[in-house]
Amino acid sequence: MKHDLQLKVQAWLDGELPDREARQIAEWIARDAEASALAAELGCIKKAMFRNEAAAAPGESREFYWSKIERQIQREAGLRRGAGTPWYARWRRYLAPAAGVAALACVLVMAVRQNGPPTFDEISSTIDGMEAVTFHDQTSQMTVVWLQDNTPASAANIPVQDPVLSPDRPVPVSDM
Amino acid sequence: MRSAASLLLSACLLAASAASAADMNLEARLVWGTNDEKGGPDCKPVDAELSANLHRMFKWKNYFEITNQVADIPENKTRDLKMSDRCTLRIKNLGGSRVEINCIGEGKEVHKRADTLLPHTWLVLGGNDKNNTAWFIGLRSDAAGKVISKN
Repeated sequence: MKHDLQLKVQAWLDGELPDREARQIAEWIARDAEASALAAELGCIKKAMFRNEAAAAPGESREFYWSKIERQIQREAGLRRGAGTPWYARWRRYLAPAAGVAALACVLVMAVRQNGPPTFDEISSTIDGMEAVTFHDQTSQMTVVWLQDNTPASAANIPVQDPVLSPDRPVPVSDM
Repeated sequence: MRSAASLLLSACLLAASAASAADMNLEARLVWGTNDEKGGPDCKPVDAELSANLHRMFKWKNYFEITNQVADIPENKTRDLKMSDRCTLRIKNLGGSRVEINCIGEGKEVHKRADTLLPHTWLVLGGNDKNNTAWFIGLRSDAAGKVISKN
């Protein structure tokens, strides 16, 4: 007989099967001699166990009894967590993220210092009628100081014949 | 006697190296930005690096180099770099990569500033010129103290 059928017989004997399945098993036990013998044997064992098992009384209420067990389990679990963990291992839990943050901050500060625009300093003056605009291109690491002529002639978009700063540029081929 | 001489020689070498370390090797280029295809007879296209940087930031199609000046400026000393007949840069080495730049146009102080010149990075002064063109003066230092070859 298969093991699962043996378990079915045992469950039937203990009244653990649903009604329909219990009826099927009962019919099968009535037909099959081997099943019938097994059921009889298990029934005898059950009766013997039921009669001879010593009744264990905890001597205290059920709730109190189980709460004691629960507290004991919790206490042992706490001891197990703490036991064998050195102090530096416990601190590492807090120090590791702090060290990571510090390292990240250092990297950021260094990156900003390296890639930041050059320091524009205390001295900067431009002749009257001109304005200096400073800007920095991070990609090319180039700083540009654009000198804008704000004289009335320039503002009116009239070509200035001889701007003060204009270098002696060569005459373009098209002008020659 | 021999040891004293070698000591003196070492001191001189140390002093010389310290002095050269404080020197600033500086390059200044006058560049003309235009939409014309060709520059004048005495100018040539700007090298690829500076040209790319200028193209990234400005609208002009072509950039021609007119003047290229190189100067070795000791600390706390001033040098005049003549960029054109009408434009001169007066540069003082303030030490520690810092310079004072005085842009002089026709004898007038047009713009004066102090900057930190980071190695191999361009500081560009620029402005509009007539006929929708622009002028630029690019400045950079060579931190290693090597002489920047003149193009």
